[in-house]
Amino acid sequence: MALVPPPGLTVAAFERALRAFASVVGDEWVFATDEDRATYSDHFAIDEEAHRPGAAVAPITVEEIQAIVRLANEHKVPLWPISRGKNFGYGGAAPRLRGSVVLDLSRMKKIEVDVENGTALVEPGVGFYDLYDYIQRNKIPLWLSVPGNSWGSVCGNALDRGVGYTTYGDHTSKICGLEVVLPDGDLVRTGMGAMSNAPTWQLYRYGYGPAWDQMFVQSNFGIVTKLGLWMMREPETMVGIDMEFDKPDDLEWIVDTVAPLRREGILQQSPSIGSWLRGAAVLTTRAEWYDKPGALPDSVIDAIRRKFNMGWWSLSMRFYGPEEITEATAKVVRRAFNGRPVLSIKDSKWKQGDPPELSAWAGVPITFPLQNANWHGGRGGHIGFSPVLPANGRLALEQFHRTYARYKEFGMDYHGSFAMGERHITNVNQVLFNKDDPEMMARVDRFFRTLVEDAKKYGYGEYRTHLDYMDLVAWTYDFNDRALLRLNEKVKNALDPNGILAPGKSGIWPARYAEHRDVGGKA
Amino acid sequence: MSRLFRIRAAGIGAALILAVGGSLASADERQDVERGRELYREKCAMCHAAGGMGTGLLSRRYPKGQELLENRTDLDPAFIATAVRGGIGNMPRIARGEVSDAELALISKYLTRRERN
Ligand SMILES: Cc1cc2nc3c(=O)[nH]c(=O)nc-3n(C[C@H](O)[C@H](O)[C@H](O)COP(=O)(O)OP(=O)(O)OC[C@H]3O[C@@H](n4cnc5c(N)ncnc54)[C@H](O)[C@@H]3O)c2cc1C
Repeated sequence: MALVPPPGLTVAAFERALRAFASVVGDEWVFATDEDRATYSDHFAIDEEAHRPGAAVAPITVEEIQAIVRLANEHKVPLWPISRGKNFGYGGAAPRLRGSVVLDLSRMKKIEVDVENGTALVEPGVGFYDLYDYIQRNKIPLWLSVPGNSWGSVCGNALDRGVGYTTYGDHTSKICGLEVVLPDGDLVRTGMGAMSNAPTWQLYRYGYGPAWDQMFVQSNFGIVTKLGLWMMREPETMVGIDMEFDKPDDLEWIVDTVAPLRREGILQQSPSIGSWLRGAAVLTTRAEWYDKPGALPDSVIDAIRRKFNMGWWSLSMRFYGPEEITEATAKVVRRAFNGRPVLSIKDSKWKQGDPPELSAWAGVPITFPLQNANWHGGRGGHIGFSPVLPANGRLALEQFHRTYARYKEFGMDYHGSFAMGERHITNVNQVLFNKDDPEMMARVDRFFRTLVEDAKKYGYGEYRTHLDYMDLVAWTYDFNDRALLRLNEKVKNALDPNGILAPGKSGIWPARYAEHRDVGGKA
Repeated sequence: MSRLFRIRAAGIGAALILAVGGSLASADERQDVERGRELYREKCAMCHAAGGMGTGLLSRRYPKGQELLENRTDLDPAFIATAVRGGIGNMPRIARGEVSDAELALISKYLTRRERN
């Protein structure tokens, strides 16, 4: 694996920069062997080479980060900050621009929790497991909200607009106050943190004047070194209803039943309507059922569903709070489904004092969903195609049919879900593939681009995407000659004239590297 | 944070052992295994304890009980290092920023310990 320095730098100049970084963090925290470059690459990527980092550096203090940022400006080295770098499906730890230096913040693990107010202030390296352990060890009556892959970080996940499954599942909306190193090395605190002794940094989001928290989300405008987050009090009860549905076309009425409950705040958690493969890919492998290429035929799908007793779609809803409220909510929700052809309904109830329910609905970190990468056997992986739709049954069903037809056309197994927001749906589709099957891998890129193009025709844009498609997706946000992208890049160039911070993140390119934009000939 | 302190201490301990050679290593064996166990819980257990991704996938290939790495007696340090740094099956490669070489050596000592309770 040849060392690829960042664009515009010779190997010698790059090595000088790495020595300068080592003078800040010590030799043992600069990683520049071939093995290091491989470990910071994206093991799910269609083409790992395209995003191969040049090296990684792992500071442990804010001062070290500031020093590295100043040196990066001096040496013109692009940095790619990660918190824990477990962004599987979206690029892992790897940078958008080949040769960038991964700024690995996973050693920064400080946690402060304000139990009374239900808030946490975490450094980037704090994983969901770290925070969970901290809360358990200190017997703190707060719950986390965790993603389906909880191996990553509280901070990185919220900064990429990650989601969980409790009422606090829209993680980015629970951010309250950031500390950020800017591309020139300056240090800023947002919201009330702008006042040096404010006890309200994690309590009131906006501060005074423009509020900047979201400016550092899915962006390349700063390196977040502390993140304030609201946390949920352990509820008195958690009541659940799990439903299975038999037919693909049931999706329309399921969405139309859930949408008003969600909009009016009866359902406060975002339930996700998932296709059968979401469950099956974790439980079994394709080879146990079928040995031919191409999308699975309906007869095989039926057999898998029968074996695991699952619907074509499944839906899990959870209600949190005092028993009087959760039981009443369950009643209202059940009434909404009255007379509908629900295949099966399962109730559940957890009460304070019961052993913890080991699930993401109870905010307990999990990794078992990662088993789905083994669906095809071989070295598996997936990328996520996640357009945002209106919370409308007919439109959701139409989008499903379009997408399903494309999966079949490209010979891929459909793995989709519709996560119900208050007024929108995030339609997360996982494109599961086998990296040891070159013929399949050759189809994936074309398939993904087709999905993006189809969605764009209806005005549906992705909420988050893999490194490979950041430009493509940014390009679909095209109002007024891409005025938003132009604004983002104006801000980028003003804050980061040397373009050292995460060039290309979310399609935002600093002038210095603008020629690396790649919209795949779709401009 | 006591846990963070323990990890750092473990790293320093391993560096010392490497520096002064085998005799101290055998005197410290027990302590290293214990540190390795703690590190294993912190760095590996999310996937390799019951209910984790690694355990789930290994249960497809190993007899009951053997899907838990902590129960295995057939692991050796070279294999562990190759799996951790190179990835294996669906296990991604683990970078040195997350598990340092010194920490990996301790984890390895724990997984290959002779005394089992
Ligand atoms: C099977 C499976 C299930 C998944 N389920 C979910 C799910 O339910 N919900 C969900 O949200 N995701 C899910 N994911 C995706 C992903 O694994 C998680 O979102 C994970 O939390 C992201 O990794 P991380 O937290 O380590 O973030 P990181 O990789 O550290 O960060 C993500 C990105 O944010 C930016 N960033 C990170 N830290 C900083 C910083 N300090 N300053 C500035 N920018 C920064 C960088 O651009 C980075 O690439 C799933 C993945 C898989 C494979």
